[in-house]
Amino acid sequence: MNRREVLLLLAGTAALPDELLAMGRTVHKRIRAGALRALTPQQNETVATIAELIIPKTDTPGAREAGVPAFIDVMLADWANDEQRQMFTAGLANVDERSRTAFEKNFAGCTPQQQTQILEDLDYELARLRDTKSDTSKNFFSAMKWLTLTGYYTSEVGSTSELHYRVVPGRYEPCYTIEQP
Amino acid sequence: MKTYDAIVIGSGMAGGWAAKELTERGLETLVLEAGRPISPEKDYVEHVPMWEMKFRGMGDRKRLAQTQPIQQQCYACDEMASKFFVNDLENPYTTPDGKPFSWIRGRQVGGRSIMWGRQVYRWSDLDFEANAREGIAVDWPIRYADIAPWYDHVEKFIGITGQAEGLPQLPDGQFLKPMALNCVEQMVRDAVGKAWPGERMVTIGRCAVLTEAHNGRAACHYCGPCHRGCITRSYFSSVNATLPAAAATGKLTLRPFSVVQSITYDRKTGRATGVRVIDGQTKHALEFKSRIVFLCASTIESARILLLSGIANSSGQVGKNLMDHVMGGGANGRIDGPVDKDTIGNRPNGIYVPRFRNIGKGKSPFLRGYGFQGGGGRSDWGRGMEQAGFGAAFKASLRKPGPWGFSLYGFGEMLPNEANTVELDKEKKDAWGIPVARISCAYGENEKALVHDMSISAAEMLAEAGAHDIQPYTSDNPPGLVIHEMGTARMGKDPKTSVLNAHNQSWDVPNLFITDGACMASTACQNPSITYMALTARAAAYAVDAMKRNEL
Repeated sequence: MNRREVLLLLAGTAALPDELLAMGRTVHKRIRAGALRALTPQQNETVATIAELIIPKTDTPGAREAGVPAFIDVMLADWANDEQRQMFTAGLANVDERSRTAFEKNFAGCTPQQQTQILEDLDYELARLRDTKSDTSKNFFSAMKWLTLTGYYTSEVGSTSELHYRVVPGRYEPCYTIEQP
Repeated sequence: MKTYDAIVIGSGMAGGWAAKELTERGLETLVLEAGRPISPEKDYVEHVPMWEMKFRGMGDRKRLAQTQPIQQQCYACDEMASKFFVNDLENPYTTPDGKPFSWIRGRQVGGRSIMWGRQVYRWSDLDFEANAREGIAVDWPIRYADIAPWYDHVEKFIGITGQAEGLPQLPDGQFLKPMALNCVEQMVRDAVGKAWPGERMVTIGRCAVLTEAHNGRAACHYCGPCHRGCITRSYFSSVNATLPAAAATGKLTLRPFSVVQSITYDRKTGRATGVRVIDGQTKHALEFKSRIVFLCASTIESARILLLSGIANSSGQVGKNLMDHVMGGGANGRIDGPVDKDTIGNRPNGIYVPRFRNIGKGKSPFLRGYGFQGGGGRSDWGRGMEQAGFGAAFKASLRKPGPWGFSLYGFGEMLPNEANTVELDKEKKDAWGIPVARISCAYGENEKALVHDMSISAAEMLAEAGAHDIQPYTSDNPPGLVIHEMGTARMGKDPKTSVLNAHNQSWDVPNLFITDGACMASTACQNPSITYMALTARAAAYAVDAMKRNEL
């Protein structure tokens, strides 16, 4: 179906939003997970482990499957400034330090229970900063959570299977009844 | 050399209308556009999903900081749509120290009509009479009755959605069916209407997006990011509507990559003879001839071109009285809306609170007024960043929509002030060797008072609607950022104090018309594009009639 045909259909009767998906866009290369650019394989594994703990696989895929670690590597390599990148990698080192102190192992080698315990500490410390209206911009876990949520919910998997996002909704419903509020 | 009947400088909001009206009235018309051509099939990107963007919509931060440090201040200059904004390195301008001005520009066929906010509100005599009533600047040479039929004419063509409300300060237009208010917007509308009957009200925004098929263009499919283009032509832009209409007459010549250097002028006849251009790609100088010229290059560019040409300025008013709107006062709050309701689709429109200050009884400690835009909705997964927790329960909680919130954001009038100016910079030149604009502009006390009042009245309305966690705020934006530049070649009744007469015709150069924001003698508080379009259509009809009478 070409654009003219779609326009004729739309101008006529019922909308065909799915046909529109193919238009109004330039063709983009699918972003593939390539070689790591900002993180070492060990750092990447720590990032992937934390991300999966924040957004785990449940009845829908989790952060790993949604490609969150690769997104974080891209953001650190090409979006973050030097200071932010250093803050982030120092934060990863600190996570390992904490796990060695508590469990005598690097974070990636800990059990899921031990890892969860470390994340609970990090999350508690971040919540304290927030509650006292302190600066969170230099907090590793704040950055990690932001990158994980963004990476997950804007991924194809997160957008479509978790949120049922559609590029072209085709209609506006102002007061739609949710089945399970 | 061929002599066109008309040359139109600029292909945006005003230039597109000049092209349509002049060609439809039989004139061989050349449209000169500084930027590149735009092809919807190749250039529109509204359906690119987030996951295909390298930075997931957050933009190529390093590139933006390097080449578009000013343009990126506009929300629409995002990862996909930044290509519709100028490169700041190629298109510099200067400002005095301590007086920032954010000049947001689009140089391509369609200009800023591609990324505009699409809100359209008629002016009323409250606005056209304001300068005369208060003894500020100069009186408008027209009143609502002069422009009303042209609002009709423009609205019938472009398609406007809105709700008729019968307000004297915000006349109704030729509306297609209105978009709907959602649950909490209805709650706020009812509460505000009850608390301030006949004074404050909430209505659905009036905007140039089609809610039904119209003039061969399709109804909106609610994808959301209008500023990236619209393959179904559902919102109005000159690329989507006026330029195709002009092309259909067979009388349009559109020349992209035509950076205007000056308007040529014959001292003996006192007439413009054409336009001098630098080719945007080859940088060669070119010249085009015409019987009339429509200058529609945008407020600041048009002033710059007039100053470069050294014409139409016997009043000394060219470049004076630069205005923008003032924004940034408002309030947010949470509303206990229905937990079992949400919206589907991205409505490209919000609510509107028409101006309620200084109309009828009751005087405020400032002149003029403001309107609010905004709306209600439920928060999404983004709230998770401000929330403690992680893991399966955290994920499950973010799957559901969050609390309802409501936002009111004010847009106010800026008074004309001769001290706010556009001049030519004495040293700096752009990438085409043309002297750049030097912009000196600042808000005054009245604008600051409006912003302050916005925050208070917005919080009052939210409180009346039962909102909690109400956060009133004011912000201090540089002028320019509302992207409603006006003034610099104002209309008036007297050639000694104005640049243009009641028909947007230069007092000094009768075959020169200026119909973009430069012509405005005041700003009102409404979004201005519809008024530029109506004035352009009106001026084009006048110009063609005058040519037929051999007056030009």
